[in-house]
Amino acid sequence: MAFLEVRNIEVFYGDVQVIFDLSLHVEEGEVVSIIGGNGAGKSTLLRSISGLVPPAKGEILFEGVPIHKAPPEAIVERGLVQVPEGRRLFTLMSVKDNLIVGAYNSRADRVKEKTIEAVYELLPRLRERESQLAMTLSGGEQQMVAIGRGLMAKPKLLMLDEPSLGLAPLLSKNIFETVRKIADQGTTVVLVEQDVMHSLSISERGYVLEQGRTVMEGPAKELLDDPHIKTAYLGI
Amino acid sequence: MTREKLQSLSLVLIGVIAFGLPLLVRSPTYLHILVLLFLYAYLTTSWNLVGGFAGVLPLGHSTFVGIGAYTSTVLALQYGVSPWIGMIIGGGLAVIVGVLIGLPTFKMRGAYFALATIAFAEGIRVMVENIEYLGPFKLNGPRGLQIPPLNTGLANFMFAEKEPYYYIILVMLIAVLALTYFISRSKLGYYLSAGGEEPEAAMALGVNVARCKLIAMAMSSFLTALAGTFWAQFTLFIHPKSVMSLDISFEIAFIALIGGRGSIAGPVLGAIILRPVSDLCRIYFGDKLPGLHLIIFGVLLIVVMIFQPRGLQEPLTKLYNRFLDRFAAQPDRIR
Repeated sequence: MAFLEVRNIEVFYGDVQVIFDLSLHVEEGEVVSIIGGNGAGKSTLLRSISGLVPPAKGEILFEGVPIHKAPPEAIVERGLVQVPEGRRLFTLMSVKDNLIVGAYNSRADRVKEKTIEAVYELLPRLRERESQLAMTLSGGEQQMVAIGRGLMAKPKLLMLDEPSLGLAPLLSKNIFETVRKIADQGTTVVLVEQDVMHSLSISERGYVLEQGRTVMEGPAKELLDDPHIKTAYLGI
Repeated sequence: MTREKLQSLSLVLIGVIAFGLPLLVRSPTYLHILVLLFLYAYLTTSWNLVGGFAGVLPLGHSTFVGIGAYTSTVLALQYGVSPWIGMIIGGGLAVIVGVLIGLPTFKMRGAYFALATIAFAEGIRVMVENIEYLGPFKLNGPRGLQIPPLNTGLANFMFAEKEPYYYIILVMLIAVLALTYFISRSKLGYYLSAGGEEPEAAMALGVNVARCKLIAMAMSSFLTALAGTFWAQFTLFIHPKSVMSLDISFEIAFIALIGGRGSIAGPVLGAIILRPVSDLCRIYFGDKLPGLHLIIFGVLLIVVMIFQPRGLQEPLTKLYNRFLDRFAAQPDRIR
């Protein structure tokens, strides 16, 4: 039994079908990359798993329990947390308040103070900035807040949607190191990325999405060496 | 003197002025204007729980004013229930209606939400205008209900002078301001503004945005209905065009937007600026240019939105902070 199992889902926005008969699985403790170009359905897949856009067909099981019909708050309560694309911070709140909102679910609320310490430990920059308004931070710092806010919800599985988006190469390297650290501390991670090289290099396995379908899957190392991936995504 | 001391001193000073004002203002006309000013500050502060913190623009709060006014009045006229008790029952009824309106409308965004709330408010007003008897309750359609001023006194929420009304609404205003202050610093306040700004991100974190908005709506409806009862007891005559009219909803929104929605001082500042305009226009131009105040509001709103999109509370708060700094910091430096 896989930790997270997506079985033959189809997802629509209104009449437009975005995901076609897609299946994947994630084992506990893994980092799994989902890569693909613009419009491949990567973000939709995440939004579907976290209950924001429920699939029209198919099943999603988390720790063996079907979640594809549950509302987002119930899914978060189970320990499946998404860090949405483009950071989406609460810009007029301080960094600390942003983090506190992350600990909404009852599991996380009880250990809030402890988690905040752990988040500051992992992302020391946030402690320095804790009382600053989120809108006054740099892009890299904002992404750290977004990740920290996701961690505040005490995820068993953390899904990150393009955490390197719009960041300078050095900063994005920093973010990937942080993601690896989160995984090493025992949180399973699903990473959606356009930065194929970096995301595969910190992952155990990967899936390649094209036009709403999985076209390739396998261990990250094999994918990195694959000629199709090299030409299509790495430009070599 | 420390900054904190100066701050609480200025608050106490404002309180003393507010409580002492009826000693100076003897004219019933001006006292009436002041009561309406506080009433609107109260209404806008209640509205602010949804319209300010939750980041949506409800334009149907007149419904709750009407529900409060009608409930307490009908109960008092037909069953002799004290308006104080009717006030609470009206509040409860408004919560039910507020949640029923909120359930479908909170799914909509921006202008669609605003339009839907207008539709509900107008629908309910037209219904009340055409109902003589709602079951055993006499609503009297468009003619409205008159409360005979027979037994004045606190128990009957009825007074011959304006002063008691002034103090009642002042206390209500202070209470609702304290409540908003408390909520804005509570977790509910955080969740509301999180859901208002980035609903998707809040939902992805498991915040039940819809439920937080409904809780805010329930509180806001309840508090607004209390003001409805006050209104009925103050004017002793209610009809659908007076206590359920859209003008109330619009004036609340004007006050909030010009004063600064989502802030605590905004609704009060907005009422202090706009209410006198509204009343003076009615006194001096009511016959020649009815509705002049709405034109002035519109112009003011445009100017404020261009230069101070977060309302007049922002520059005034800055000014106030500068004042605190100037008078609080210097003695410290000398020491």
